[in-house]
Amino acid sequence: MKLDAATLKTKCKHYRISNEEYQKICQLLKREPLDIEWPLFSALWSEHCSYKSSKIHLRKFGKTMNATVVNASGENAGIIDLGQGERIAFKMESHNHPSFIEPFQGAATGVGGILRDIFTMGARPIALANYLCFGEVKAPRMKYLMDGVVHGISSYGNCVGVPTVTGQTNFDPSYSQNILVNALAVGLLRPGEKIALSQAQGVGNWVVYVGAKTGKDGVHGAAMASEAFDENSEAKKPNVQIGDPYFEKLLIESCLEAIQQGLVVSIQDMGAAGLTSSSFEMASKGQMGMDLHLDQVPLRDSSMTPEEILLSESQERMLMICEPSKLEAVEKLFSKWGLDACVVGKLKKQRTVSLFWNKELLTEIDPDLLVENAPVYERPFSAWASPRRVSSLPDLKFSAAKVKIELMQVLSNEIAGSRRPIYRQYDQRVGAMTAHGAESDVAIQRLPDSGRGFALAVGCRPFLMQVDAQIGAYDSVFYPALQMAIKGVRALAVTDCLNYGNPERPEIMSEFVASVDAITEASILLKAPVISGNVSFYNETMGSNITSTPATGVVGLRDHVDGLAADRFGKEGLKVLVLRLKGLELSGFGQKPQFKGEYNPQKVTELIALLRKAAMEIPPQASQVVGLGGLALALAKMSLDGIGCQAHQDLSISSWMKNILYQIVWVTDQAEAFEKFFQNSILAADVEILDLAITKKSVLDLGSELQFSLPELQKLSSEALQSYFQGVST
Amino acid sequence: MKKIGVLRFSGTNCDRDVFSWIQLKGFHPEYLWHLDQFAINDYEALILPGGFSFGDYLRSGALAARSPVMKSVKEFSKQGGPVLGICNGFQILCEAELLPGALVKNEGRRFIDDWVDLQCVGVSSRFASQVKGSIRLPIAHGDGRYYLPEKDLQALWDSGQVWFQYRNENPNGSVQGIAGVLSKNKNIAGLMPHPERAIADWMGGTDGWSFL
Amino acid sequence: MSNKIKVGVKVMPREVILDTQGRAIEQALKLNQMPVGQCRVGKFIELEFQDSQEQALKQAEEIAKKMLCNPLIETYEIKVL
Repeated sequence: MKLDAATLKTKCKHYRISNEEYQKICQLLKREPLDIEWPLFSALWSEHCSYKSSKIHLRKFGKTMNATVVNASGENAGIIDLGQGERIAFKMESHNHPSFIEPFQGAATGVGGILRDIFTMGARPIALANYLCFGEVKAPRMKYLMDGVVHGISSYGNCVGVPTVTGQTNFDPSYSQNILVNALAVGLLRPGEKIALSQAQGVGNWVVYVGAKTGKDGVHGAAMASEAFDENSEAKKPNVQIGDPYFEKLLIESCLEAIQQGLVVSIQDMGAAGLTSSSFEMASKGQMGMDLHLDQVPLRDSSMTPEEILLSESQERMLMICEPSKLEAVEKLFSKWGLDACVVGKLKKQRTVSLFWNKELLTEIDPDLLVENAPVYERPFSAWASPRRVSSLPDLKFSAAKVKIELMQVLSNEIAGSRRPIYRQYDQRVGAMTAHGAESDVAIQRLPDSGRGFALAVGCRPFLMQVDAQIGAYDSVFYPALQMAIKGVRALAVTDCLNYGNPERPEIMSEFVASVDAITEASILLKAPVISGNVSFYNETMGSNITSTPATGVVGLRDHVDGLAADRFGKEGLKVLVLRLKGLELSGFGQKPQFKGEYNPQKVTELIALLRKAAMEIPPQASQVVGLGGLALALAKMSLDGIGCQAHQDLSISSWMKNILYQIVWVTDQAEAFEKFFQNSILAADVEILDLAITKKSVLDLGSELQFSLPELQKLSSEALQSYFQGVST
Repeated sequence: MKKIGVLRFSGTNCDRDVFSWIQLKGFHPEYLWHLDQFAINDYEALILPGGFSFGDYLRSGALAARSPVMKSVKEFSKQGGPVLGICNGFQILCEAELLPGALVKNEGRRFIDDWVDLQCVGVSSRFASQVKGSIRLPIAHGDGRYYLPEKDLQALWDSGQVWFQYRNENPNGSVQGIAGVLSKNKNIAGLMPHPERAIADWMGGTDGWSFL
Repeated sequence: MSNKIKVGVKVMPREVILDTQGRAIEQALKLNQMPVGQCRVGKFIELEFQDSQEQALKQAEEIAKKMLCNPLIETYEIKVL
């Protein structure tokens, strides 16, 4: 039945299918799509599911693979082999838009979703992390969003019993209308434990639905956040997805048990585009067909139509393939945990997915058309030209008094204030594996079988991305790797969550491509493959785009968990050394974003290797990578436990404030050994080491009138964020 | 050799941590599923671990306290068997009226994960009997505020049923900073902090080791 | 002449929204051999006013809309107590 132009336009708009995409669909089907097929294409050809604007660039991550990679199939979590039978699965994902609409549930369901990507592989979740970007605290709704997001992450993560061990919270005006909420999860496969895959296998095997009943969650999409709601717009309100961490906990235990007992052929979580994506993807990957009886799907709302069932984003549901002989055991197992497990279909050889409603065939469609044949776009971009490089940076003509005021200012606000009011809401120790939690930049857990230290850190500094997208992207991998190195940890693998604005704008796409290239290069140099990831495009509101933000999650390994260097001064009379890598200087925080010099990824890689070696051979009492805000701020933060330092070198004001990539603070009683180590190294000509100060109780004296009262700094820092996370919302 | 039973309710999270701890100490742990009864003579002690049984829905510990297994737990404790409730386990024991009082929402209305200083002010018949004076343990709870009516507090002290108090800082508004209590016969014990998370230097402390 | 008047605001999850508490209690009741059809959990807020009934109900309506109820996921009912 041919559609008239007006109806076609409306339908395309409703299902978010472009005209060209519609033509392509007609071409592939060799006819016009049936009513029931519109939602299938709408879901599977969406940017979120198909990666149509990013796919050709993401393929570059394939170059970073090495022998440690067990699985990097793109959609689910990647798995790397740590040796000794221990394997780690991990992935990062965004939940930006839902969190802007309903922050508590948006963030909570983000955590739930990423966890499912982990345990669907058979890995027990052992850690959660998050990467958050908020706007100006004074922006409309921002306080409500901040409190809601943290509360949501806390409520879900704590209840499901997985520790939230690290994270990063950034603030920048560019996120005021598009906050970023990225969630990361890590799972552990212990020696001998089975990995579960997601390809449908075995003609005649049952397709089994497990978990929560299906309701209208997420159906009809999300309305624009700026739309006001009144009691007459019931129909327009998005059906907010509600997460239930208790239910998820039951799902984790039952699925892991089923997988380890060999009752499951393959399994996939129902995430974005729910039943549609899981069924079609499993069939396509396994090169099989499937008969799916939508009327067999357990429903919370019996009025649901086939389309609604296909599009529902109800949480905490999985799709499994199991052999007929194992079905009874499967049902019994899930019933023990109080969950529904019911047959909704069957696998067949013929490569079509046939959708039935009360035995009536609604449609029969080749899954490859939806999965493999999704559009691939080559959005225009230009080669990266570092538009904000300058030959010289303006002199930082500050008085000591101004520096002091600035420093105390950022320490007392959201820029550099303590994040403790946030992470104090997260259970960091459930699982009894945590050695360093969220109070440190790098989280470290002790692997139960080998006793080795597993490390996790997130990366990407928005200010650096504003200075230069390529440098910012290098830094998003190298900075966490540096933070790990100074604790004796070797970075092993990377996951990413690429948050960008509108990819149809060449300037944004150029930043995207430059970022992917930089991350690829960094990953190859570090021998840390990018094994999984996620892309979030269209973080744009009324023409205003976010800062391009390639958030990363880096995992690493340490021989053991003893003798970990602290993040703060902890003992008097030790030398405070500063190691500087020459070559790149940025403008100061709060100034016009610019940079001078070159970012040399090769040298940064060498620095990382050397620092890691030094951290194990000449262990420091404390070590830190100097962040944005310069050396003075870094030392101030290291003094917050009550032991500060007394400088015996009179540095210029600008030296205390300069943003240099990179500077490391190293606190030790073996200064000569450390200096010699670098003098004899390959970087001898590229680094300089300053013997800056001596640690001293209750004193922070950086010379030239830069003296601080530690109790005052402690108070400013600890109170900075307190008022924002104390339950503004009921 | 008798076993130490580790109760598992729907939603319990810290069961595996407690199980490992028991093994490390050389005892014999066994999981007890909340829907089944157990032979009380087979066990030398029971531990109700922390977590979010039934999601903490309705009231923390309320639904778990009405699980079938609690029949055996009550019988076991009636016969003098030692029972330890940690965090959610403490909440369940209070809801089951095996311990006095109730645990309600933290005063600050938010979950707290932190290390706290505790003072040992009572003696249980079986748990932490070597612990004296002040110790440091981690807490992680949203509903840790201990409540007992004013009129019953003195009696609680008089019968030596106050087990631990928060020192220096009361993190959740518990009445008189009470962090743990004992039953009249001292065989049932409950506390909000997690001893199983402080049994190694790399964890940040070892004061929890001697609780078993 | 105004006197003390109590108004009750019942906040329930929207019918279409998943009620996680209700579901858990339903399950627990079933395990305890006390099965129910459906269980839904909401909040009941008591507001005290010093005003006429008409004014009190008007204010309660405003308070419910602005603060007590999140219209995305909840509905509310008001009645004089």
